[in-house]
Amino acid sequence: MTRYIGTSVRSKEAPRHVTGRGRYVDDLTLPRMLHACILRSPYAHARVARVDGGRAAERSGVKAVLTPADVQRLSRPFKPGRYAAGLRVPIPEYACAIDKVRYVGEPVAMVAAETRAGAEDALDLIDVEYEPLAAVVTTAGAAAPAAPALYDELGTNVAWQGHVAYGDVDAAFAQADRVVRENLKIHRYSSTPLEPFACLAQAAPEGLTMWCNAQSPDVVYEALAEALGLQTVRVIVPDVGGGFGQKIHLIRKYAVLAALMAVRTGRPVKWIEDRSEHMMAGGHSCEQEFDVEAAVKGDGEVLGLKIRDTDDVGGSVSTLTIHFTNKLNNLFNTYKVQHLRLEGRSVLTNKCPVVPNRGIGKPGMCFVWERTMDRIAQELGLDPIEVRRRNLVPKEAFPYTTPNGNIHGSGDYQTLLDKVLANVGYEDVRRRQKEQHGSTRIGIGVVIGVEPGGRNAARDMAIFPQSKQMPGAGGVEGATVKIEKNGSVVFTLGSPSCGQSHETTAAQIIADVLGVTPSRVSQVGTFDTALSPWGVSSANSGNNFHLYDVGAVHGAATRLREKVLTLAAHLLDEDRGSLRIEDGVVHGATDRVSFVELGRIAYSNQALLPPGVEGGLETTYYHSHPHAEPLMLPDAHGRVRAQYTFSSAAHAAVVEVDIETGRVRVVRYVIVSDNGTLINPSVVDGQIYGSAAHGVSVALGEGFVYGEDGQLLTMTLLDYGKSTTLETPRIEVEHYPIPDPFTTFGQKAAGEGAAIPSPAAIASAVEDALAPFGVKVRRLPLSPERVWELIQGR
Amino acid sequence: MNRHPVHLTVNGETVDGEAEARTLLVHFLREQLGLTGTHVGCVVGECGACSVLVDGALVKSCLMLAVQANGSEVTTIEGLSAAGALHPVQDAFIDRFALQCGFCTPGFVMAAHALLTRNPDPTEQQIRQELSSNLCMCTGYVQIVEAVRDAAGRLRAKGRDR
Repeated sequence: MTRYIGTSVRSKEAPRHVTGRGRYVDDLTLPRMLHACILRSPYAHARVARVDGGRAAERSGVKAVLTPADVQRLSRPFKPGRYAAGLRVPIPEYACAIDKVRYVGEPVAMVAAETRAGAEDALDLIDVEYEPLAAVVTTAGAAAPAAPALYDELGTNVAWQGHVAYGDVDAAFAQADRVVRENLKIHRYSSTPLEPFACLAQAAPEGLTMWCNAQSPDVVYEALAEALGLQTVRVIVPDVGGGFGQKIHLIRKYAVLAALMAVRTGRPVKWIEDRSEHMMAGGHSCEQEFDVEAAVKGDGEVLGLKIRDTDDVGGSVSTLTIHFTNKLNNLFNTYKVQHLRLEGRSVLTNKCPVVPNRGIGKPGMCFVWERTMDRIAQELGLDPIEVRRRNLVPKEAFPYTTPNGNIHGSGDYQTLLDKVLANVGYEDVRRRQKEQHGSTRIGIGVVIGVEPGGRNAARDMAIFPQSKQMPGAGGVEGATVKIEKNGSVVFTLGSPSCGQSHETTAAQIIADVLGVTPSRVSQVGTFDTALSPWGVSSANSGNNFHLYDVGAVHGAATRLREKVLTLAAHLLDEDRGSLRIEDGVVHGATDRVSFVELGRIAYSNQALLPPGVEGGLETTYYHSHPHAEPLMLPDAHGRVRAQYTFSSAAHAAVVEVDIETGRVRVVRYVIVSDNGTLINPSVVDGQIYGSAAHGVSVALGEGFVYGEDGQLLTMTLLDYGKSTTLETPRIEVEHYPIPDPFTTFGQKAAGEGAAIPSPAAIASAVEDALAPFGVKVRRLPLSPERVWELIQGR
Repeated sequence: MNRHPVHLTVNGETVDGEAEARTLLVHFLREQLGLTGTHVGCVVGECGACSVLVDGALVKSCLMLAVQANGSEVTTIEGLSAAGALHPVQDAFIDRFALQCGFCTPGFVMAAHALLTRNPDPTEQQIRQELSSNLCMCTGYVQIVEAVRDAAGRLRAKGRDR
C-alpha cells in the first residue's frame, strides 16, 4: 500500500521549470492586452489634496487613468476581515489611498497603456498635490499622546490592546525563587518571493477572469465580489514564483485595481509589480518588542511567563491583529509551563503594512522562549541545555494539550536535543572555545521549536469573542481524482502551489492508493475556481497542505479505488476481496482487466457497467480533519486549538564572530526534525533547508530599514541584505519522524518550520561567542555593524 | 520613440527585430520572441533570474540593452536542451530537487552551465562563490549546490564516453 509514500519520487514540477516552461502570470499574453503601472506615494504620511490624471491620459498610447476619486466612485471598500478582528471602529479601506497616504509606496493612481514603458512614462504626468504630515516610524513615537494619528477615526495610533491568560500567573510568580526579566526585539523583514505580485484581468460580458499569483484565491475571489459587486468571477492561479504568506492578503488591492482598469478600458489589463514596489508596499513581517518576565525556581524550572508584546503593524488597519493571534499557535513552544499571560498592543506607524510571512508571529514567540531560556541559565549559573531539558514536555505526555488548548499529537523533544548535540559535536565545540585566540570567537546556540500546521481560524474567537462567522474554522478542502479514458490518472487540488511540490506529493499518494506508478499520475493544470474543488482551509497558507490536501487526495483516490474494484469484480465475475491492483491492472484469480480497458468501459459502454453503478471513473472528496474536536471552538477558558499538527525540531548553530569587524559567519547549522511520516523526504528536506536559510539570513542582517522621515532605505535586495550562497551555511538535516496519531499517514507540517527557531539559534550562538565581552543579544538583526557595537559595549 | 534594428542569433536561430533604445534584452527576449523562460525578479541585476549567455558569457539580461546585444549569439534556457534531450545540468536539477517555485531556476541552470563550462570540477566553495550572482528565496541552496556537483560528474562522465 505504501510503495511510493516515503520515497523521494522524481519531481513532477521540475522538468517544466528547468526547461523554462513554467507558466507564471507575466508569461501570459492576451489579444489587445494593456499594461498597467501604479503611481505610489513618495511620502510616508500626507493628505492627498488633488489627483489629476488629465495630462497622463492625453499621452499617446495611454488608454485610461484611475485616480482615487475613480476608485472611490467605482468600487466599494473592503470590510475589515479576520486579520483585523481587533479593530474597534469599522474603518473601510479601498484598493488605493483616497484622501491620505500612510506609507511610502501606498498606491495612489493607476495608468494603463499599450506598452509597459508607455505606462511608466505616463506616471510622471499624473499631477498629485500632497500636504505632507509628520511621520511616525517607531512604536514609541507613534504611541506618544501628541503623535499625529494615522486614522482620525481612531484618535490614537495604539489601535488595539488586549491580552490572553492561561493558568494562575500571579500564583506562579508568588512561588518563584527568582524573576528573570528581559526586553527583546525582532525586526521587520519579508520573504521577498522572487516573483513579485502579478495580475492579469479580463472583463467579458459573461464575467471577469483574473489570473493572479495569489496564495489564497479565495481572498481575491471575495475581494473582487466585495469591491466590484461582481457575481461572476473566475480566479486562475498559474505557476507562482514563491509565496511564503506574502501573496495572501495585499494582492487583493491590485486585483481590484487591475479589474477596474479592465472594466473601464474593455481590454485585458496586465499589472506586474516591480521589485522596489514589492519592497515598499508588498507587505512586511511585523516588528515586535517583548517585555518578558519569567518566574523560575532555582533549578531552572519555569513556573510562569508574563509577556508584554508591542506589534508595529505599519500604515494599515487591515492586518491589525494577525501577528498577535498567531502567537497562540506556539504560545508554549515545547515547554510544560502551565501559567502564561500575554498582553498585546498593535501600534500603527507610517511604514508598510504587515502581512503573514513564513511563520507570522511564531518566530517572535520562539525568540521569546529561547532567549529567555538562555537568560535563565545565565542568571542561575546553569547550563542552557539543562534548563531547556528541565522544562520540555516529556515524551510520555503525548498527546499533550497545552494550557491554551493546542494538542501536540506526538513528539520526543529530549531526543531531538540529544541528537542535535551529537550531530553538531557540542562537547567538541565547547573544547575548541577554550583553546581559541586571535580575532575570531566561536559560539554555539542550541534551540528548539515547533512548527504548527493546519489552520483553525476559530482560534481568533478566543481573543475576539464577538467574531461569530468564522470561515476557516476547522477546515474543508477538496480534491478530484479521475481515471482517464486511456487509463492514465489525473487530479485537481483545491489549492494552488507556490513551489512546495504539491503535484509530486499528491501523485505519490494517488499512486499508492490506486496501484499505479506515479509517472501515470498528473495534475490537471493549476488552480482555477471554475474547475477546481474549493478549499478554504488549505489555499496554500498556514502549513495546511499536509493535513487537508493530503486528506482530500487520499479520500478521493480511496473512493475511486472502490469504484474500480466494483467495476472490475463485475467484469471479471470475481469477489472484490480477491482482487488486487498492480501497475494499473486489476488482477483476479484467473483473469485481469487494465485501467485502459476500465476507462473505455466506464465512459462509453453501458452494457458492461454493473446494474445501478454510475458511469465514469471520477471522484471528488472534501476532507475535514476527523480529529478537529475537541476544542475546535474556544471553551469558557479561551482554550482553542490554534492549529492541528505540531512538527518539532532542534537547531544547533555554530558561528565564528570576527571581533574586529563584527562579521558573523555560520560555520555549521544542524537540524534534527520531527515532521511525522515523510511522504517525499527530499521535498521535506527542501522545505527545511529553505526556511532555515531564511531565518539565518534574517538573523544575520536581512531586513527593512526606515529613515526618521519614514522613507524606506532598503529598496533593493542588495540594500535589504538578502543572504546569498556565500553567507548561507550548508544546512544539515537529520529526520527523527514520530508519526502523528491523528493524520492520514502520520504526517505533520513541513513548510515554514525552520524559519521559526533559526533567528533564535543564531542569536544564541552569537551571544555565546561574545560571552567573554559580556554581550547580551536582545534584538535582531545581528549585522556586522550591530555586532561590533555590542562588542564595544554600546 | 525611435526604434533600432536588432539582429541576433538566439538559440541557433536568426532573429531580425527592432527595439527602442531603452528596451532591455530581457524584455526583448520575453515580449518580442516569446522566450518567457528568462524571468524578471528584480530588473537591477541582483537576482540573476534573467541570466542568459551572450557570445558564451553569462549575462544578466536586465543589465543589457537589446541594442547592445545586436550582432550577438544569445542562448536562453529554452536553447540549452537539444532536440528534446535535457542538458545534464537540467537532469541534475530535477534529480536533486534543486528547485521549488522554479522562478529562479532558469537563471541558476544557466549560471551553473556557464560555471561548468569554465571549471568542470568545481569545489563546493567555488560553486557557492560563482552562484552568489543568483538569488533563490525557496531552497536554501543546499540542493542547488548538490545538483551542480552532480551535473559536473555527469558532464565529466559524458566527456569520457566520447
